[in-house]
Amino acid sequence: MSGEIDAVYIYDEQNAPLVEHVYRSRPPSASAILPLYLAHAEPRPSLLYIPSASPPVTVFSTVESNLLFLAISEVDTEPLLALEFLHRVIDVLEDFVGAPLLSTKVQANYNVVAQLLNEMCDGGTVCNTEPNALQEVVEVPGWMGKLLGGIGVPGTSTPALGSTNPLKQSLAAASVSQGPAIPWRRPGVRHTSNELYVDIIESLSVTMAPSGRLLSALVSGTIAFTAKISGVPDLLLSLSAPGGQHVLGRKIELPVFHPCVRLARWKERPGELSFIPPDGRFILAGYEVDLLPIDPDLDEPPSHMEKLFLPAIVDIRKSLGPSRSEFEVRLTLNTNFPGQNSSSRPGATRSGSGASTPSFLGGGGSGNSGPALEEVVVSVPISKSVRHITDMQASRGDAQFLPATGILEWRVPTGKDAGTLTGTATLRCSVSGYPSADDEVEDSVGDADEDANANLLQGYYEAPTSYNDATGSTSKKTRSSDPSKRKKKKKKSTKKTSRSAALQPEDAEEDPIAATTPSPNRSIPQTPTPPPQSQSQYNAHLPAFFAPSSTSRPTRRTKAQVNASLMPNSASVSFSVRGWLPSGIKVDSLNIDQRRSRGLGESVKPYKGVKYLCVSNRGVERRC
Amino acid sequence: METISRISSMLETARELTLEAAQSAAINRASGTDYSSRTYSPAHIKKLLDSRHEREVLDGMRRVISLMYRSEPSLTFFSAVVKNVASANLEVKKLVYIYLVHHAEAEPDLALLSINAIQKSLTDSSPQVRTMALRTMSGIRVPVISQIVSLAIKRGCGDMSPHVRKAAALAIPKCYRLDPNTLPQLMGYLETLLGDSQYFVVGPAVAAFLDLCPDEIGLVHKHYRSLVKKLVDMDEWGQLATLRLLTFYARKCFPQRTQKVKRTAPEAFYDDEKQQQEAHDDAEEYEVPVMDPDLELLLRACKVLLQSRNSAVIVSVVRCFLYLAPSEYIASAVGPLVALLRTPQDMQLIALYNIVAVALRVPKPFAKYTAHFFVHANDPPHIWRLKLEVLTILFPHCGKHWKGVIISELEHFSKGTDPELVRESVRAIGRCAQGDISTAGMCLRILLGQISSPDGNLVSESLTVIRHLIQQDPSSHKKTVLQLVKHLGSTTHPDARATIIWLVGEFAGIDPENNIAPDVLRILIKGFADEMEIVKQQIVLLGAKVYLHHLLQNPPKEQPEQLASLSFPEAPAKPQQEFQNEWSDNGNEESQDTKRTEEGEESRRENDGAETKETEEATEDRITLLWRYILLLARYDTSYDLRDRARLYKSLLETPSSTQLANLLLLAPKPVPHAPSPSETRKDLLIGSATLVVGSDAGYHGLRGYTNLPDWVELGQEPDPSLRTEDVKPDTSSHTTSMTAGDRLDKALREHKTTSISSRGRNGPAMPLDPAGKKTLDQWLEEEEEGTETESETGSEEEETDSEEEETDSEEESGSEEEDDESEEETDSETEAVHKEAQQLLG
Repeated sequence: MSGEIDAVYIYDEQNAPLVEHVYRSRPPSASAILPLYLAHAEPRPSLLYIPSASPPVTVFSTVESNLLFLAISEVDTEPLLALEFLHRVIDVLEDFVGAPLLSTKVQANYNVVAQLLNEMCDGGTVCNTEPNALQEVVEVPGWMGKLLGGIGVPGTSTPALGSTNPLKQSLAAASVSQGPAIPWRRPGVRHTSNELYVDIIESLSVTMAPSGRLLSALVSGTIAFTAKISGVPDLLLSLSAPGGQHVLGRKIELPVFHPCVRLARWKERPGELSFIPPDGRFILAGYEVDLLPIDPDLDEPPSHMEKLFLPAIVDIRKSLGPSRSEFEVRLTLNTNFPGQNSSSRPGATRSGSGASTPSFLGGGGSGNSGPALEEVVVSVPISKSVRHITDMQASRGDAQFLPATGILEWRVPTGKDAGTLTGTATLRCSVSGYPSADDEVEDSVGDADEDANANLLQGYYEAPTSYNDATGSTSKKTRSSDPSKRKKKKKKSTKKTSRSAALQPEDAEEDPIAATTPSPNRSIPQTPTPPPQSQSQYNAHLPAFFAPSSTSRPTRRTKAQVNASLMPNSASVSFSVRGWLPSGIKVDSLNIDQRRSRGLGESVKPYKGVKYLCVSNRGVERRC
Repeated sequence: METISRISSMLETARELTLEAAQSAAINRASGTDYSSRTYSPAHIKKLLDSRHEREVLDGMRRVISLMYRSEPSLTFFSAVVKNVASANLEVKKLVYIYLVHHAEAEPDLALLSINAIQKSLTDSSPQVRTMALRTMSGIRVPVISQIVSLAIKRGCGDMSPHVRKAAALAIPKCYRLDPNTLPQLMGYLETLLGDSQYFVVGPAVAAFLDLCPDEIGLVHKHYRSLVKKLVDMDEWGQLATLRLLTFYARKCFPQRTQKVKRTAPEAFYDDEKQQQEAHDDAEEYEVPVMDPDLELLLRACKVLLQSRNSAVIVSVVRCFLYLAPSEYIASAVGPLVALLRTPQDMQLIALYNIVAVALRVPKPFAKYTAHFFVHANDPPHIWRLKLEVLTILFPHCGKHWKGVIISELEHFSKGTDPELVRESVRAIGRCAQGDISTAGMCLRILLGQISSPDGNLVSESLTVIRHLIQQDPSSHKKTVLQLVKHLGSTTHPDARATIIWLVGEFAGIDPENNIAPDVLRILIKGFADEMEIVKQQIVLLGAKVYLHHLLQNPPKEQPEQLASLSFPEAPAKPQQEFQNEWSDNGNEESQDTKRTEEGEESRRENDGAETKETEEATEDRITLLWRYILLLARYDTSYDLRDRARLYKSLLETPSSTQLANLLLLAPKPVPHAPSPSETRKDLLIGSATLVVGSDAGYHGLRGYTNLPDWVELGQEPDPSLRTEDVKPDTSSHTTSMTAGDRLDKALREHKTTSISSRGRNGPAMPLDPAGKKTLDQWLEEEEEGTETESETGSEEEETDSEEEETDSEEESGSEEEDDESEEETDSETEAVHKEAQQLLG
């Protein structure tokens, strides 16, 4: 059995059951399964096997706009099938009920939801998830249609209470008897105003080494399409990229397409999408672009790298200040988007009939305003052992630390004055952890003892150095056999590190700390001494030997190290840019093939619009 | 691929959305009472349902459905609702049907009353009504009606409308669940439906087949080729079912044949052209798998699906390639599989599980996508865990540059604050070192750098990994052990200490000239009382090892008396020495103390016994003294486990002259530890299944309904390939003709498009416009683009039965070829038999 969905449950924002639709057999009810599901600690994986339910079930889950969607299956079901189904349910519900999906909207449209869920899956077998096909069988009640007019559900362009409309019924009947010619497009689409919109959204994900070198830069792109056009149009969307058509073919990697796209055309001429669109809004294609292609078999670091433009880069410097407890985040913004000046003439991205109308880009397409960098947020994950962050001084914007999420958020305003945006902003903070003993308790009891003792001993035994000197000779004797050997060890270890460093020069350069840590000067002196002991009488003698090496030194070290351990070790920046794509892909033209299209008057010139959006959801990440 | 809802939310600014959500939440809070007050009383709803106006009935039905979904009592309306089952209004009917299916189980008797009306709808003129009726009838869970449902399905199978036939296919599993005795009839219907010409009837039919009788592959033979052809045209869900069926089918029907063909000429050609691909070509050279043309047909059809937007389809294709196809196929599918990481996070997780499972088998093609698996700061634990695993699997297959990057990534995360992440990264470094010996030094260096960290967790984990690394190649790591010993002084983590001590013990015998073990032991003993138990155990063990090595190196023959006096005697052999033994025990200890006091270090033991006796002996044989002292310490320890161990070692080493047993026990060569990838245990689970994700929690047999792929069928056991020739047109051909009539209209309308479309129109009558289908056809026919004959040539030996002449031709052709095949097989089996006989004779 490839997939059997026993039930779909939807819970509202407060996790109260909202929709309960059982497809087959008798799975545990929505209220019964919820506590079992919630028993798993967050973040919950999307597939949970709950053997304690009766009968044992697998639960597939996803969360969309605060609603929790669960699919239940008693048998082994392909997880991706179940999850894809849930996402289709979400999409379809949004399409019919209106986005964003809210519990009130669902409640108000229970009968529509019921019909949809009933249609989409029959007896546990997923069977019909095409929005266009569903629009034919599920009627949206009249008043809903009016309500949805602005949202753009194409189904609402038919008259209200369509079921009683004889014309419509006969139309539907005709298509039903023959089977749909095009499964994703419903027949007889009529629109008074014909519109076509292309939205290309690229989400950027960049990883940078502490040195600032780029480790990876990936872009995952999605082409969303909105077709509100009568008849059966045959469209041709051409993409272009700087460097020409053949570059585009190599650039766009691993594309996936909506079933309507003719694959052969794409293979022949990469960048050309020929398709008959479904009515309404849909995802036409997805792709990815590797902005930093590196041959995996490469032995040397690539000598030259393609220069990569990033609108926002974050850097972090830690262990600053007298107590080494401060760190500084530097954000570099750059709004000099490459290639923008040359191609920002209006209408460059639009084509055909729509050229006379203003671009869908809003202000962006009209050239003078250019791409707009917005919603710049720097987030720094903070260690759990940090109690609070003080002295947050931001040169721009304001920062906030929420201990609950463990993330320091720094919002940098991006107002109208885009010109002044370019430049560097800094945020300086100082962290303070919990008192060290408490801190260590979390790790292990043994450590805590150790540490507490060390602190204690420090107070007692640091001062009388003369005493230490007196006993120093004896302590030397104890280690009688060691010194020569130790020296040898030292040499060897350094040699070793240098050798391995030579072996991997680029690595060593990347993290000098690692290369030097094994160097013995820090660790050797205490080598032969067991850790300070806690027994009273016995200690009275012992600490004398240990005081110089293991007592004072380790505490000083741990103090610095405690602060070091509180330092963040990465920072990432989120932003969105309207009107710019990191891959440089552009819509070259969008044409209607009049010869192949049907039901669309020759004179109809649909309005066309293009929108570009680059999103980075904590995507530019800097290690440190 | 991103979902449209996610993209929409990205496009609209977050602010607007939150505003709307906030508003709605406010409304929600207020409407908690508001909404229910607006709902009508049950009496009112009943009145609406009984109304003569369709509008009011519809309104009433909507309210009932809302009640039902809000889990409020709606059963009371049952009779009022059922009355409307015969309503002429489609909307009302739909809602009534939904209600019926939901509540029929609770009110079986009343539900039966509605059956009659539903049955009537089965013969309605509107296919939509027929569809709904069939669907509802099969959904009513009252076992009594199973025969009626079965008849309805039978009728539906022969319906004109493909929608009704689809509903019939979907109804089959429901009917089976209602009454398993209907199975024989249902299988008959299935056979009809599997041969349906409509792609979207076949999909549900396949799903039903999988549900009902997945092992009856006899039903599939005849439809195999048409299924493969329709695969691209089906909707995603049909594709999923079909891919699954065909993958299982292929294992059962296509034996793995290999031919040793010398392909020297093309090989040389290849070598000239691109020598990098030698690895692949070499594999081909030695065993040329002879792929069944039917299997190849399937694999080629699958290739097109790799650009599907549905992630489940892609994983299914990967499964098909992984288990059925030669390696070049899976290499082509790796990219699309990695592309699933672009999906929302919930699907990403599942995709990663599958990626790990595939990468464990064929890691090489993934190397190209290494950058996709870098861990991001906002990845939840279940995601980064898998990403780290993929990185370590890919590690040996990357170039030095990426190796360096991966290692520094892991190092970065090992310094993090999340203890889990630290642990996993350190382990990952260990696995990297294990996967590629040449980098072991680099990894070891990083790990050694970490043992001076204040993070005990990191230290102990690093040490465990270091220990593994050292054990893999002990001779070259003597210095490493020395370095570790230095850390004994600063490391407080008991696990870490225990690990180091154990390592010292292991290395005690390797280099007798430069042995540090006794020294380490001596120093450790001083703090013995304050160590954790696990450390104490290791100290005692180290003592035993050191002593044993000592005994081995200085065989006690030269001074048998002295040594005997130092040790416990062999009880039966030298009973008289027991006294001496007791004495020497004390004496030794005392003398040891003496020694220590002399050195100014040891004043803690308040043994005020004799001081000077046998000093010579003590200086001569310090190790024995140490050993004795350890035993004494352990004897008075609070832990009985430790005392027991000490006793064990004591008796083991009692006789200095016979150390064989001790040798076996203490100095046994340890197996080289191999840290497997965490998902190694899941390697054999079926790609794409839920059991793969759940893992061992699902129990030995996996989740209910989980079946692994069958093994390849034995050569000679497979079903006759001629079964797959489509000699008989399925029963639905009558509909097909009627369909084609309707479709010819469509076709005529679009005739002017392309020639390829018209050629497509012939074999998939209802899908003349489907571009995707057309494409794939083109693909199949890449080589021969003649347009008309193409279809028949793809199968090379088999025929598509489009015209009768072709049919007979093909039958002859295929027949003769099959004979050839058979004769070959026969000879094969004959030779096999001869071999067997010979073996038997020999044996």
